[in-house]
Amino acid sequence: MRSSIQTYNEIESQKTIITSISASGEKSPESPEEFLRTLDKFGIEWYVTEKGTLTIKYWQIGAEDFVSPEQAAIIRSDRPSPEQGDELDWLSKNLQNVRGRYGGQWVAVYNNEIVVAASDLSDLIRQIGGFDRPLITFIPAEPVVWTFTYAS
Amino acid sequence: MPVKNFEQVVRFYEARQDPGGPSIWLPLVDVTLVTPANSRVSLPLLFDTGASVTTLRADLYPILGLQSWDQGIRVETDTAGGRTAVYRYTYTLEIFGKTIDCPIHLASELPYHPLFVGLFGRDTIFNEFGFGFWESTHELYLTPSP
Repeated sequence: MRSSIQTYNEIESQKTIITSISASGEKSPESPEEFLRTLDKFGIEWYVTEKGTLTIKYWQIGAEDFVSPEQAAIIRSDRPSPEQGDELDWLSKNLQNVRGRYGGQWVAVYNNEIVVAASDLSDLIRQIGGFDRPLITFIPAEPVVWTFTYAS
Repeated sequence: MPVKNFEQVVRFYEARQDPGGPSIWLPLVDVTLVTPANSRVSLPLLFDTGASVTTLRADLYPILGLQSWDQGIRVETDTAGGRTAVYRYTYTLEIFGKTIDCPIHLASELPYHPLFVGLFGRDTIFNEFGFGFWESTHELYLTPSP
């Protein structure tokens, strides 16, 4: 019982710290890495945005400038935002199906699905306005024959 | 010998064209292009130390806000396929946590590939990072603080 109370207090302490960071821009007394490890220790789900904002959905808190964008990129390479899938990974794994359905078209991939397809890139651009950083590529209808590489 | 630390990984992705066909692994970088309309799109590029400048397929010109692919500065460049003309522009890319204004070439002779639309080349961008390559693990490592 005492252990549970202690755990509760420690979690509340983390919440207080992140609330302070969120409200007043104070810095965490621990390093960002230590702070995130503590959150992991208690099983509190978090993610860091590209701009460096620490977001904890469960507490509905977002602490801006928790880390720099450069630090955020390092953290996100291990733990991307939950809503942001690895579109390239998805495309790689579904290449044959995608080619069968969208061969000869430009496609926009977002959240691990093709959200827009068009034979003309300008048409595609007009339709992707509602998506944040969709991945754009062209799906050749024919198998790729790699005969050309750039030299320095 | 200096110790080099790498904080990020450039992944290799599998490009298998046919179910029973050979498997090719490509080092790919997901680059965010800031368009003239200030929107952001993600462009997959092949990590290519042989490319002197980041190079996109010519038919991507609409996404760059251009009326045609050959509006920029004409540059003659050597390629494995011979000497060819490309057109040079400057755009803002966001990559590995950094925002970089860098030269971009549009080239009409890059082949289509579903997993990338251009080459991630050296000019300006590579100055910002340090890279380490491990073939056996299919991974490139990088540091934003070389």
